[in-house]
Amino acid sequence: METSKALDYICSEAKKQGADSFDVIAGESESSGLDLYEGKVKNSEISSSRGIGIRLFVDNRPGFAFTEKYSTEALSQTVSDAIAHAKLTDPVELDMPEPADIEEKDLKLWNQSAESVELSQLKDLCLEMESLAQQKDKRVENIPYLGAGKSSGRTEIRNSNGVSCSARGNSLYAGIGVLAHQNGHKKMGYYSNSSRDFNFFKSDYMANLAVERAVEMLGAKSIPSGKYPVVLSKRITPQLIGMYRAPFYGEAVQKGQSRLKGKIGESIAVKDFSILCDPHVEGFPGSRLFDGEGIPSQKISVVENGVLNAFLYNLESAKKEGVAPSGHAVRSYSGDVGTGFSNLFVPKGKHSLSELLSAHPKCLYVTQLEGGSGCSPISGEISIGAQGFWVENGQKVHPVEGVTISSNYFDLIQNIEMFGNEYSDILSSTKVPDMLIKFMYVAG
Amino acid sequence: MNKSTAEKIISLGKEKMADFVEIFEEETRNASVVYKDKKVESATAGTDYGIGIRLIYGTNVVYGFTSNEEEEHLLQLVRNLSQLSGVQASGQNLDPISLQFQEASNSHKISLNPREVGQDKKLPFLKMADKAAREYSSKVHQVAITAADISSHVNIINSEGLFLSDNRIRTRFSINVSAAQNGDIFVAREAPGAMMGFEFVENLDIEQYARQAAGRAVLMLDAKYIEGKKMPVVMGNGFGGVIFHEACGHPLETESIRRKASPFAGKMGEQIAHNKVTAVDDGTIPNKWGSLNVDDEGNPTQKTVLIEKGILKNYMSDRVGAKELGVPITGSSRRESYKYAPVSRMRNTYIDKGEDKFEDMIGSVESGLYAKKMGGGSVNPATGEFNFAVEEGYIIKNGKVVEPVRGAALIGKGHEILPQISMVGDDLELAAGMCGASSGMVPTTVGQPSLKVDNILVGGR
Repeated sequence: METSKALDYICSEAKKQGADSFDVIAGESESSGLDLYEGKVKNSEISSSRGIGIRLFVDNRPGFAFTEKYSTEALSQTVSDAIAHAKLTDPVELDMPEPADIEEKDLKLWNQSAESVELSQLKDLCLEMESLAQQKDKRVENIPYLGAGKSSGRTEIRNSNGVSCSARGNSLYAGIGVLAHQNGHKKMGYYSNSSRDFNFFKSDYMANLAVERAVEMLGAKSIPSGKYPVVLSKRITPQLIGMYRAPFYGEAVQKGQSRLKGKIGESIAVKDFSILCDPHVEGFPGSRLFDGEGIPSQKISVVENGVLNAFLYNLESAKKEGVAPSGHAVRSYSGDVGTGFSNLFVPKGKHSLSELLSAHPKCLYVTQLEGGSGCSPISGEISIGAQGFWVENGQKVHPVEGVTISSNYFDLIQNIEMFGNEYSDILSSTKVPDMLIKFMYVAG
Repeated sequence: MNKSTAEKIISLGKEKMADFVEIFEEETRNASVVYKDKKVESATAGTDYGIGIRLIYGTNVVYGFTSNEEEEHLLQLVRNLSQLSGVQASGQNLDPISLQFQEASNSHKISLNPREVGQDKKLPFLKMADKAAREYSSKVHQVAITAADISSHVNIINSEGLFLSDNRIRTRFSINVSAAQNGDIFVAREAPGAMMGFEFVENLDIEQYARQAAGRAVLMLDAKYIEGKKMPVVMGNGFGGVIFHEACGHPLETESIRRKASPFAGKMGEQIAHNKVTAVDDGTIPNKWGSLNVDDEGNPTQKTVLIEKGILKNYMSDRVGAKELGVPITGSSRRESYKYAPVSRMRNTYIDKGEDKFEDMIGSVESGLYAKKMGGGSVNPATGEFNFAVEEGYIIKNGKVVEPVRGAALIGKGHEILPQISMVGDDLELAAGMCGASSGMVPTTVGQPSLKVDNILVGGR
């Protein structure tokens, strides 16, 4: 059964089986990709997947179910499961939205030319990257990770009040991971990126950067434990700042999982620090015209000049708070409704990276983070392995490995001394510049 | 899938010159109930359904999957895959394939099928956990509990004539407790699981697990930071095994070795760990969370000795890895679902028990860390660099455990830490976890007795 027919069927079935209200989401995706090793394609993959999830309410009690099977029996069973679940849950207050005017704007998330890119072109790109990387430096031992692919997806949302909206997107990706060695010491260097334009991928740029990132770390050593100024590279600030999104979600605040509770209007960070959630930036992966519950997306300034300005809401948390939903519900067909940023921006500052590195006589410049399990968005704890460079008077002295950096997110954002004037070139929904932190605790 | 469709797919793959053709058909039902904020927050269930087709040419793999079970759609997928391989079909006549249906013999007894029990039976257990956690301390301010089960039915069909069907049922009970004080919030988690049905929940000491999680969250509120530096560490038993899993397990999978992305490549038969260390990956333990009947290529599961008295004995291998490296198949081929081609993965992986006493380990440390409960971690298999969070840690001073510490992390390189494990306890315990790698998230068990590592970098402040 086609997706639109399956949606028609599940909606009529939900009414028939006695749901008071409901919303359904369908997702479909297609992808293909390959990875290579030593000049040969080792793995290649073609895939298509799809699924429909339903949330329905009976006497305000929610029930969820989903299916990847689109037969009439499977769809009916999915509705019966959701009805059965609505007998178990506690009541929830929320207002299922009416159809609203959704801005008609091309967010440039779909590029038809990406659809016609052949896997053979992606394979040739990989082969070029591999050969360039091998020739670039004799310390390159091998290239364990090398791959490229393309994917496309479509989402459709409907509800019992007649909301009906859909969106689609596609993208291409390519990446390379280089292993370099010197005197028994091994380091990996990576570069990968996504785009909707095949011509964006430059094999020499990608290969060179991956090799450079591996060889520049050879000979890395630890540094003595202490409290140091730290420059966090724009390569990793999106990862770090991105781990602490949840404290800004209304539902986390309501359920005691955010240290920002009660702090609206208060200063929580240095005055140059802002967080902007902007869903309408062309081409950005987080861009969307409506959220996972069909509410029009809007631009929200979450933190403005250091002051906490707003939390993000979905239908349920907005109702509980007595505010209008802000259009930040996220939902996949197999999951519950949550909250999420669309795109997250920390505005750029005025300073170049070299100004950040030379602001103190000595500093640690962190270019890689390892793992994230010592980082908790609830407590704000940051305790994470790091690699990078020891810098004196603005000059790199030696590469650094085998250290951890430690702080707390809610302290860190009050200790940012300078912001860099660039973002990394990675196509990402999170954009954060280089940042100089007054100090972090480093263990080595 | 019926036999005739399967035979057509396999014949077409062979016609397209694949050395090996495999079909993996899966129907999985996930069901869970979440109790949070003293409410039944959600009850959900869903059906994953799809078919993965794998063609192997030498040791090169082409893989495709779809949720569409129509025969023509599947045959077209095979044609597309073969085109992807770049190998030309020969047009020669092949012997017709004849599939023999069999059911995998089940070594893990399931008493209560979760589907038949129903989701409503979970409610009293969820509430029991919530009550026990909240009663532990007035500082406990939020509790979230999930009771989840997953029932999978798979058919594994291949060009060697296999048509094997297998059922896998697992149940997990997760308890997250947060405690708050003066604006600080800490969360602790316990999440036991087993290859069992609802009987697992019925027989679980839920209150004990809830109190453990609550106790840890409350303890961390008053804990100080540890001063970061290199020091001896006594690692607690059970989930402490995550260190071996990350730092040594992943690099011992043929998927890492075949890319030479492992410090253990070419080290078979060599001393890679302290001679007190024996490590095992065992899929046969009855009803354990990471156990199997057969792996996702249909190979019977087995107990594989990885390291014996410090000597590297075996890698964990799948069909392709075994062929490429010339090592035996260990039945370790796993995948999250039909959406992934299978690769070598861990099952129940543990460092075997030794003879040392926990008290003697603590007693031998002048100044160090007792990492009683580990949080998660990750590894770069190519370089062996690992990191983990310590969820519950204590300072050891002059041979005594003195006070709790927060924010500790352990980092290092697996192959450098193995020789530093100088004491191995007699208190082996296993704990359930989820492991992520190229073939998705799979249930695995980690485990170890208490261990003493002579020197490891502890991150702190």
